[in-house]
Amino acid sequence: MRKTSLLSASLAAAVTLAAGACSSGGSAGGGGATTLKIITWVNPPAVSAINAIDAEFHKKYPNITVKLQTAVNVNGPYETLLQQTVDSGGADIVTSVTQLQPLPLNPNRNNETPLQFWSTSGAFAPLNGQSFLTDYQPSALAAETYNGKVYGLVSGTYQEGVFYDKQTFAKYHLTVPTTYSQFLAVCQTLKSRGVTPLFTALGNVGPVYMQFLYYEAMIDLWYPHAPGGNLATALEKGTAKWTDPNFIQGMNEEKAVAQYLEPNYTGVPWESMPGDFAKGKGAMLLDGSWDLSAVQQANPSMQVGFFPLPFSNVAADNKPYLADDLTFEVLNSSPNKAAAMKWLQFFSSPSVYAQYVNTTGISSSQNSGTFSGYSAKALGSWFGQGVNRNVFYPVLSPNNGYYDQETYWPYLQLAVVQGSKTPAQAAATYQQDWKAP
Amino acid sequence: MTVFRPGRRSGRRRYRPGRLLSRGSRLSMWAGLLIGIGVYVLFGIVPAAGNVIISFTDYTGLPGAPVHNVGFSNYSSMGTTQSAGFTPAVVATVVFVLAVTIAQNALALLLAHRLSGQGRMAAAGRVLVFLPIALGVTIVGLIWILVFDPQQGPAASLFGAVGVHSAFFGASGWAMPLVIFVQVWQNAGFSTLVFIGGLRAIDPQIYEAAGIDGIRPWQRLRRITFPLLAPAVTANVLLAVVGAFTTYNLIYVLTDGQYGTQTLGMLAFNAAFGSFQANLGYGAAVTVVLFVLTLIVALPLMALLRYRERRLLGTS
Repeated sequence: MRKTSLLSASLAAAVTLAAGACSSGGSAGGGGATTLKIITWVNPPAVSAINAIDAEFHKKYPNITVKLQTAVNVNGPYETLLQQTVDSGGADIVTSVTQLQPLPLNPNRNNETPLQFWSTSGAFAPLNGQSFLTDYQPSALAAETYNGKVYGLVSGTYQEGVFYDKQTFAKYHLTVPTTYSQFLAVCQTLKSRGVTPLFTALGNVGPVYMQFLYYEAMIDLWYPHAPGGNLATALEKGTAKWTDPNFIQGMNEEKAVAQYLEPNYTGVPWESMPGDFAKGKGAMLLDGSWDLSAVQQANPSMQVGFFPLPFSNVAADNKPYLADDLTFEVLNSSPNKAAAMKWLQFFSSPSVYAQYVNTTGISSSQNSGTFSGYSAKALGSWFGQGVNRNVFYPVLSPNNGYYDQETYWPYLQLAVVQGSKTPAQAAATYQQDWKAP
Repeated sequence: MTVFRPGRRSGRRRYRPGRLLSRGSRLSMWAGLLIGIGVYVLFGIVPAAGNVIISFTDYTGLPGAPVHNVGFSNYSSMGTTQSAGFTPAVVATVVFVLAVTIAQNALALLLAHRLSGQGRMAAAGRVLVFLPIALGVTIVGLIWILVFDPQQGPAASLFGAVGVHSAFFGASGWAMPLVIFVQVWQNAGFSTLVFIGGLRAIDPQIYEAAGIDGIRPWQRLRRITFPLLAPAVTANVLLAVVGAFTTYNLIYVLTDGQYGTQTLGMLAFNAAFGSFQANLGYGAAVTVVLFVLTLIVALPLMALLRYRERRLLGTS
């Protein structure tokens, strides 16, 4: 009997020791060293910024060592790593490029993204009650909120609009346009001087990136007049229709603006776009802020400014498109949740967060702060400002199936811009195909 | 008198080829065969059967997600607005397969005719035409994207000189012909080598006899070369047809299936793994349709080409 008890006790001790040795982090010997594991993908500025933060965090909390694991890219490799990690609890903090919101109108397991499923099914720890949440803008918190609980920390946003070469504007005595008419006048002036006014590239990616035009047109002309202040909800409820005159006007204006793009922009390789702009192939670039670091690398001396592509003649209605970017989630299965919250608290402190924003070029999602990075300078007063895509994106979201309709939404936009369809025809087709989810 | 009775053991051992091998060799032979069959079943038959099963489900590939039997709905939704893009993909596939098969074989025959000699130039030519296959799809794709860059590619300068300006891979009217061209450019080398093999198998004495009989070059090509090349034609046509049906990687690199280049292979890939929507069930159904379509075309075509071979070569 004694032998059996001794054997059982030894076995239990061995299992406990083995379990401790096998766990990814955890404290060794109560109050001892902790290894906090974060996973993300290879995005050099973000990886560099997080590594720097981890080193400073370790200085402040010597008993916590942060280990950053990366997958080669955000697509397949990271998706696989993320799934494995969530399933196995193999890390403490995971990162994502999509957010919990907007959820489909009637969310279920088949129309939710993996991240939405994990968030709504308890895979992530709620951040409610953490003091750092008050540092972030309400829209950033709303993007990760479900049933009153915040499941992630949106570290920043990216913005779309017009990036312009300040030297070219100065050379031709141009001022930054704030209305549609002013913008056309600027384009006309540049064109008359033999300069390509507007540059973008849809080669290899297709007309989905016509969004540089159609999202802005919807934000500036349609969204301000949306019933209830939310275009997505209005369309879903049928209180707004795709045949709305504001949307038709937007498509008419898209066509007019597209005349100032470089010839054959649908075939210009997407990857070369920031480099082409940096080489002076266009005075203005229609793009997202994620390409600013590439512009800087290609031509460090280039002075870049930014303004929202104006489709309205009411200057106050013209705002940039803005979408949430890299987001941190704490795994509910993490044995180091307290350390993970400490890391997020440290990350959110003003000086550390500013360092992160300046290094990554991401736009701030905090309520305040002083930022001096290239993006902050280029975006100026628009840095972190704009209309979040959530006000209309759900109705265009692939999860709701609208991209899969017969007309392929962006292709019809291209047809309008290239003149093979009229805006009224396109609007009628959109309305005909539209089925509220 | 000994009467041979079937099924009854005679005093002499019956001749069996296997008996030529020792027991150990026979064991090795069967073991090798079984391993080969096992690998084929495990990595060929089982995934194919799994793919068919998945095509009847709403499987998304997401761990933890429930999988439901949806019957034939993945198939019945094809061609409806619910799963748009199927009908255009069928049309694009037919155009792609027809154009690639004809152009690739015509070009390869011409090249084989010019490069079947023994000289150094011919040998260098054979290496050159075969090179694109060795380069791989990604390199080939990037090369042609750069060539047809509408801003700074040499093709833009060339066409621009005659007043033609286009977005090339980004223009609906150009993208499909250019994708066909690149597919042919990449694969014509292999077809050329097959044709060269066929040409070299023709007995030179037949040509000598034809020369003595005063047969003209065109007649020689029509009456001698082409009929005797029938086995090579069969192989090349079938390989081109099946290869074109299943191509998606080159299209993925060149256009991502945009601007009218979404064939069934590309549609299957986009449906199953596209960034917008992961619907492995529907993607699997598209591949099943693609497989059936390939069989419907390839099997009768093979029978027809075999019949042609027998007729031209006079074999039974």
